Amino acid sequence: MDLIQLQRQLVDYRTSLYHEGFLDEQFTQLQSLQDENNPDFVVEVVSLFFEDSERLLNELSKALEQQIIDFKRMDAQVHQLKGSSSSIGAHRVQKLCIVFRNYCEVHNVEGCLKCLQQVKHEYGIIKTKLESMFQLEQQILNAGGSIPV
Amino acid sequence: MNSSNGNGSMSTASSSGAWNGRDQFPAGLRVLVVDDDQTCLMVFEKMLKTCLYQVTKCNKAETALSVLREHKNEFDIVISDVHMPDMDGFELLKHINSEMDLPVILISADARKQVVMKGVTYGACDYLIKPVRIETLKNIWQHVVRKKARNTF
Repeated sequence: MDLIQLQRQLVDYRTSLYHEGFLDEQFTQLQSLQDENNPDFVVEVVSLFFEDSERLLNELSKALEQQIIDFKRMDAQVHQLKGSSSSIGAHRVQKLCIVFRNYCEVHNVEGCLKCLQQVKHEYGIIKTKLESMFQLEQQILNAGGSIPV
Repeated sequence: MNSSNGNGSMSTASSSGAWNGRDQFPAGLRVLVVDDDQTCLMVFEKMLKTCLYQVTKCNKAETALSVLREHKNEFDIVISDVHMPDMDGFELLKHINSEMDLPVILISADARKQVVMKGVTYGACDYLIKPVRIETLKNIWQHVVRKKARNTF
């Protein structure tokens, strides 16, 4: 695939992520913060997000396996996931966290279990999509091109 | 100014010094930002640096408090997350209000009215909901000026 095609593919892919509600304008804010002094800013922030999210999702899974569920702690963890997903524009994950918190508040175990599955699912999707997008960007850079805005 | 201890860590973007950048104001505004979430902290730091502020970041409220106590008069404003383990943003705010004269902005992904109300009644000069836009951060210098003006008159 030549450079122009790669760039077009990236633009289309990125646009679809917004249209399908995977990303929101906060992600655009992140991209606008990236400059020559911090050329890997977006990748770095998103990597931190992946790290944080995986840790939180593991902890939430463990919490729901306990005999006595610590809803307060779970609520704090979901809140944190909500905060970090909102700061990178991971829209669907953020929205699910709101529902999840509501179930935590009323101590609804079934609801929490269902939400956790949904959050894990959406997180998996956004992770794959962002990694694909970064790979496309790298291909463009390797071909000597620049990332279209 | 760089320090770290076993319990928390902080890092600063540049060396401390008196803020005499009146001509380039609000560039050089000395901000301390506190958030236990590393993703959010990294985004805030970048946004604040883009606003040309001098940024020091902390991931724990206790660390932030000792930094403020050790380096009095070297910060113009504090931005702190609300929900943090150990000491939370409200407690940090209470300490700062009783010990020093600094404007404190609270930030949170929690938009519930009772939480925002708590922040305001505890004396936060503003309460921002995550995700915070850079345009909002460009205006925080107003809180510094407002506080200084109130102290003068």
